[in-house]
Amino acid sequence: MSLNQLIENCKINDTKAQGELYKLFSSKLFSVCLKYSRNYVEAEDNLQDAFLTIFNKIDQYKNKGSFEGWLKRITVNTVLQRYRNEKVFDIINEDAIEDVVVEVDEDNLSIDYLLKIIQELPDRYRLVFNLYVLDGYSHKEIADMLKINLGTSKSNLARARQILKQTIENYKTTQSLQSL
Amino acid sequence: MSDKKHIDRLFQENFKDFDAIPRDAVWKNIEVQLNQKKKKRRVIPIWWRYAGVAALLLMLLTVGINYFNTDNEPQTYEIVDTETNATDATKNQDRKSNGFEELNKTNETITNNNTLKDNNLNDVDDAVVNTNSKNNRNQKASENLLNDNIEPSKVTSVAETSASKNINESKTNNYLPSDKKLKKSNSLIEIDDKTTIASNEEEKNKAIEYNRFDVLIDKNKIEFLNNIQKNNTVVAQNESSKGEEKTETIAENTTEKNTLTIEDAIDKTNDITEKEKLNRWSIAPNAAPVYFNTLGEGSSIDSQFNSNSKTGDVNMSYGISASYAVNKKLRIRSGINRVNLGYNTNNVVVFQSVGLSSSSVLRNVDVSTNNNSVADALTNGNTETLSIISGEGFNANNAPESFATDTSINQSLGYIEVPLEIQYNLLDKKLGVNIIGGFSSFFLSDNKIFSEAEGGGRTFLGEANNINNVSYSANFGLGLNYQMSKKIDLNLEPMFKYQMNTFNNTSGDFKPFFIGVYTGFAIKF
Repeated sequence: MSLNQLIENCKINDTKAQGELYKLFSSKLFSVCLKYSRNYVEAEDNLQDAFLTIFNKIDQYKNKGSFEGWLKRITVNTVLQRYRNEKVFDIINEDAIEDVVVEVDEDNLSIDYLLKIIQELPDRYRLVFNLYVLDGYSHKEIADMLKINLGTSKSNLARARQILKQTIENYKTTQSLQSL
Repeated sequence: MSDKKHIDRLFQENFKDFDAIPRDAVWKNIEVQLNQKKKKRRVIPIWWRYAGVAALLLMLLTVGINYFNTDNEPQTYEIVDTETNATDATKNQDRKSNGFEELNKTNETITNNNTLKDNNLNDVDDAVVNTNSKNNRNQKASENLLNDNIEPSKVTSVAETSASKNINESKTNNYLPSDKKLKKSNSLIEIDDKTTIASNEEEKNKAIEYNRFDVLIDKNKIEFLNNIQKNNTVVAQNESSKGEEKTETIAENTTEKNTLTIEDAIDKTNDITEKEKLNRWSIAPNAAPVYFNTLGEGSSIDSQFNSNSKTGDVNMSYGISASYAVNKKLRIRSGINRVNLGYNTNNVVVFQSVGLSSSSVLRNVDVSTNNNSVADALTNGNTETLSIISGEGFNANNAPESFATDTSINQSLGYIEVPLEIQYNLLDKKLGVNIIGGFSSFFLSDNKIFSEAEGGGRTFLGEANNINNVSYSANFGLGLNYQMSKKIDLNLEPMFKYQMNTFNNTSGDFKPFFIGVYTGFAIKF
């Protein structure tokens, strides 16, 4: 059965088709949830909400554009909805941060570690970093999606990069100290 | 030494092929929530949709009614003005009465002509003609009053008095020839006439205040005058032709005719006023929960399900109907309705098998290809088929555990319904009662068969292949309507619709029907 047929069957609430769709796309969408969420449990919650939204709105999908892209957009929006309203405490003056190129020593940093430090970022920094760096949205789009200023988006990204760099460098020093 | 790298690149490369499989519990949760939602969703959002449609119609109609009302308003203001400008009204009345006088004169000339022709008749005849002409004048006076009045109650009361007076006069006419005291009786009648005319004129003055110089009423007047003229000529002709007959019979004939014509005239005015009152057209948006089931023991799906129990689904029908009142009792109505029907065949066993032959497929169902598992097809290239058999006479203990028992087959149909019905009013008060009969044409718009597990899981099986695209039903129902205002009725109509040729190939004795309780409101205009 083609993907289109599967989508059609999901539109009429066929439970089996819905199960098939989940099987096909859950791992891809769960990786999105993991990156955008604070931790594993919240990622699971977000994935669940995303799929419920998908099955609810699947009759609005008109076979235009990639289906996977549509699913991903819904998932990202679901997560954004959850964290957008939770305030980030902007203690620092956002304008003061310059967008400097951050360089790190490449090393065998595991994906689990990288995921962990992304998840530990404050909500807004994490969302902006994910949207801009990993999913290729522009600052303009991010500003619209998060309902923030363009400048805020840029400074949030710079701040996220600095935090990540700092975290990785600290991690490396502790590792090298331990290995000594 | 390790390379220096932009931090963005580091994350991009690492997360490029990042995939993570969630725990099974996530899907379990989703499944539970989907099933819960499905049950809720079936009822609530549908109502929302209907509420939206109803609200839209209501808005359109109120706008429409306001528009029509503004058209009428200037006229009503004029009516109010006539009361204050009493002089204008009396002037008008004068003009009118002048017109009547002219007409009266013509009538007199007609009768005079007749009397000239009847010169060969004896004196008694002449006298009768004179009295008749006076009678006619009297009639006219009362009819003027009649015509000037609009309110039906007054019309009837005045008509009654004038009719009774005429009857009295006709009695005196009858005595005329036999008594032979012509001049005396004539003068008596004259006095009588004068008094009635005088009293009529008094009433007329009162009536002026209520006058509305509507075009319709003017037309009525002309009609009446024509009638009277005609009658007069007829009377005259009668007299001239039957001149040699006994004068008593002539007198009787003429008086009888006169009374008859008055009664006819009254009837006509009543008819006309009634026509004005009756709102012939009405439009009624409606919605109804409909319950679909079968009368006999049979199945529309496969003969093996003939003895299985069937439970009807409660679905929705909504639409709009228009009706035309032929008379006060009878209405013809039609419309268009969207109707969803569905029923469940219970106690069915569903199991999955690999590579089963097509013989196990249900007779009246075109099974869709989607029963093949996508993921399996992608990974293993396997094709699976769902098999369904009746659970009747099936010992649950013997069945393997993997079999999904307690499943039902749900057949759901969607139609566009076009009814044509006759509605007969039994009671036409504030609360009206009527009986409804007719038939509907159904145009198939939706046709699906699902298997439904007890837990709520739903699998699309395919389309039924034995459903006619066009089918009919015989409709019977009882209607109750409550008159909210002159323009708006609330309706409640329990209807029974017996479906004629919905399926072209059923097993056993499958007689589908549905019951709907249609509620809505009718706007009359």
